[in-house]
Amino acid sequence: MDCELPSKKQLREWEREFDAAARRPLRQRFRYSFIRTYKPVLDDAHFRAFETTRDYRAWCERELPSWLGYGASV
Amino acid sequence: MARAFDYAQAEEVRDVFAKEGVRYLFIGKSGAVLLGFPDTTQDVDVFLDSSEENAVQAVDALRQLGFELSDEEAAEVACGKHFVQLKNGPFDLDLIFAADGIESFDQAWARHVDVEGFPVCHLDDMIASKQAANRATDKESLPRLIAFRDYWLRHCKKA
Repeated sequence: MDCELPSKKQLREWEREFDAAARRPLRQRFRYSFIRTYKPVLDDAHFRAFETTRDYRAWCERELPSWLGYGASV
Repeated sequence: MARAFDYAQAEEVRDVFAKEGVRYLFIGKSGAVLLGFPDTTQDVDVFLDSSEENAVQAVDALRQLGFELSDEEAAEVACGKHFVQLKNGPFDLDLIFAADGIESFDQAWARHVDVEGFPVCHLDDMIASKQAANRATDKESLPRLIAFRDYWLRHCKKA
């Protein structure tokens, strides 16, 4: 998988964020991290089960809007 | 629409799964958050041992947590589907019985990390899983997650 390598400046910025997060208690990290917004198609059924993970990935690729980012490309 | 996952719900998952003897690990970004990764996520993902006994225990635990599973849906969870999406409970939850990029639950369990009683996949496994899944969203978030893994190994793992 191709990932863009971060610059040194970017890495330093991330490390500052990691330091700040490490000072927060877990309960607070939860409050900042878990969010909820409606995701079209994905949120429109209350239960889905897939035989294999590959089937699930293929379903995401086929059925979900690409901008959700669940497929291989946007 | 279910509300965002909160700490009290995570405690409930931990306690009910422990009571029912469910073998599981937090994985994905929700697992990384437990390890201290500062990011946002909507998903709660748990990786479960795929034995039938464990899946049946998971169904019991999920019902106690408030997930409204019909008998048909419960049977699908128990019969070894690899990936199940639940949006019929107090929060949205993905059940993963076969994780991309991870050979087996036992191997992931051998490397897992305990955070306040929450069993969490090792960051190496989370990264391997995201690399194997190869989703656009993962490609975007992986460099920061890899940087966090390096930071965590230097600072937190030893603590």
